[in-house]
Amino acid sequence: MATLSMVSVPIATSSLPLSARGRSSSVSFPVPKKGGIGHGGLRIECIRIGGVEIPNHKRVEYSLQYIHGIGRSRSRQILLDLNFDNKVTKDLSEEEVITLRKEVTKYMIEGDLKRFNRVAIERLKEIRCYRGIRHKLGLPVRGQRTKNNCRTLKGRRASVAKKKSPASQEE
Amino acid sequence: MPRRSIWKGSFVDAFLFRIKKNRESLMSRKIWSRRSSILPEFVDCSVLIYNGKTFVRCKITEGKVGHKFGEFAFTRRRRPYQTNRGKGRKGKK
Repeated sequence: MATLSMVSVPIATSSLPLSARGRSSSVSFPVPKKGGIGHGGLRIECIRIGGVEIPNHKRVEYSLQYIHGIGRSRSRQILLDLNFDNKVTKDLSEEEVITLRKEVTKYMIEGDLKRFNRVAIERLKEIRCYRGIRHKLGLPVRGQRTKNNCRTLKGRRASVAKKKSPASQEE
Repeated sequence: MPRRSIWKGSFVDAFLFRIKKNRESLMSRKIWSRRSSILPEFVDCSVLIYNGKTFVRCKITEGKVGHKFGEFAFTRRRRPYQTNRGKGRKGKK
């Protein structure tokens, strides 16, 4: 796994929300300016863990779930392993953030997880078993019905023009 | 790969269990048991798997070990429905 070498740098608070990459970061409230010179105190907007910006204003258990590959069970397991309190993410100290990053890299997350899944599906396509053929045709793999459902895979429903009745055709 | 309990091991029909040691008889062997798992002994054999009507030739490779035989011989023919509808409309015109 790739370990982030850079430490999270404090970002000056701005009244505009940060342009988040891929995930929505927290919206910062404008800090009242003192005498119109610069800004107030510095504040960390987001924390980068596992290559992902996790929100600052939520508790750690729920902030970690913004990482692809970490859900409820895994985030609770991480907090349990590290003996962390479930406090708001902005209240974490620097050592705690570094420990959290180290713990998160033990799991397969984000790009590695997507790559692993793609390789698994490619293997099924390669050996040409039933599931691989379904993946290739873009149809559901787990035995669902295909007459009226599976719009996620099939896409928008193709509308068929209605046939005119013979009475309207005579007009 | 979903499978039954690990301590039971892979399911193989008795016929396949008997002939799996004899590699000459595995070549071009007709296999009716679609529910049997593919064991490592079957690798590099080319077998004929029954799909309910005919036999489908299938070469067993390393990647197929652990899957069932029936996954490689489809029992349904995929009909191009859209083309039929198009033809029908053309006929009416």
